[in-house]
Amino acid sequence: MSNFVARRTPVQVMRDTVSALLARELKSRFGSKKLGYFWALAEPGLQASVIAVIFTILGRNSLSGVPVALFILLGVLPFRGFTKISTQLSTAIKSNKALFSYRQVSPIDPFITRLIIEAATYLIIYTLLMIILFWSGFQVIPEKPMELILINLLMLAMASGYGLVLANMVIFYEDTPRIISLIHQPLFFVSGIFFVITMIPSHYWEYLTWNPLLHFTELSRDAMFFNYQTPVGDWFYISIITIGVWGTGLALYWVNRHRFLAA
Amino acid sequence: MIHFRNVSKFYPTRNGRTYIFKDINFKLPMARSIGVLGPNGAGKSTLVRMIGGADTPSRGHIDSDLRISWPLGLQGGLQGSMSGRENVRFVARINGISNTSIIEQEVANFADIGRYYDEPIRTYSNGMRSRVAFGLSLAFDFDVLLIDEVTSVGDATFRKKSQQALQRIRETTHVIMVSHEMKQLQEFCEAGIVIKNQNFVFHSCIKNAIQDYQETYVKL
Repeated sequence: MSNFVARRTPVQVMRDTVSALLARELKSRFGSKKLGYFWALAEPGLQASVIAVIFTILGRNSLSGVPVALFILLGVLPFRGFTKISTQLSTAIKSNKALFSYRQVSPIDPFITRLIIEAATYLIIYTLLMIILFWSGFQVIPEKPMELILINLLMLAMASGYGLVLANMVIFYEDTPRIISLIHQPLFFVSGIFFVITMIPSHYWEYLTWNPLLHFTELSRDAMFFNYQTPVGDWFYISIITIGVWGTGLALYWVNRHRFLAA
Repeated sequence: MIHFRNVSKFYPTRNGRTYIFKDINFKLPMARSIGVLGPNGAGKSTLVRMIGGADTPSRGHIDSDLRISWPLGLQGGLQGSMSGRENVRFVARINGISNTSIIEQEVANFADIGRYYDEPIRTYSNGMRSRVAFGLSLAFDFDVLLIDEVTSVGDATFRKKSQQALQRIRETTHVIMVSHEMKQLQEFCEAGIVIKNQNFVFHSCIKNAIQDYQETYVKL
């Protein structure tokens, strides 16, 4: 009853492993929470609608000449994407520890697997919500489509590098994800989700612009709307941070590579 | 042949590094099955895990051209939240087999645990776990099978079945086996290694290995 184990190149082994992990992880998500994919879509949608309704009740149905719902969604989506993806990735390695007893599975494989799932989910949700808004009669064709795509890809890149750093911290301190979500919560209020920087007195800008998440919302709206131009959104700044977190994450991964395997 | 090049393994403890193995240089011949002997905590499981790639040496390398199984132990390997079948499917896939239904059936036949095969592993008893783990490793044509105490928990039927299976594949597959039962080691292995002094001693006859082990460690 021997099944021949073919000799494969390292790249083939990795491809087979990641696809096996993909099948496994997708199944466990579908299996445990049947509404999981519904909520992934409904949560940012509902969040945006609640804020939009509040603004409408307050008598504002446009911000900077843009409909509130679309305005909020362009802030909520990259912010939630960033926090969700980085927290999911932080536990990717640790929660698959049992599988490292197979030599084919190295710690980076479950990380890559989860990154693929999270990035795909984000892009699908983004597109679906835009399509829904389009049907509802909103003007959702971006002014600079390439820049909107680029800023979202850059967000994914930074979130995953940051997630890799967190995945390293998790093996030293198990409660890292809790602390991280405590830090993420106040960021919700300073990342430009329900304001743009031009509504803030300019002498506060130098503090707010340290937060890279603000740049994602600012640049997203800059790319989307004809009548908004961000005075602070800085591609260079967030690119440097992205390179920084990836460099740190990879260095930590290399240092800790034995620790991931240890039971 | 399994080639140990300058292999050291240590664990950081409060009193500095505790070495399990230090600077091992050895070519372990795999022409026969090998029993691993040593007291608790000597590093038997660590050695087997390193050979199987489930753990890495702190320094040095272990190289081999042979197809070596993962270490079949009581813990690890099988994922508790997945069913036996899903575990089998997963392992088949990471080994590059895309049509997994044949292998799923083979393991089901060997394990013979009925409807539990589709229940999560965490609901299994130790014996049932071992049946799946052992059946799974037999489904591949490994040159070397790493067995860490996995056969010792089974009932009489399972022991007999695994013994027969090992006899059947004897020509092509050899085992490296950790066990505290000398009878079992003599049954399955021809050669032996004894772990001592942060190194190991190879004996081409299991009887000598057992004698060495008893002289070194068993003091009554």
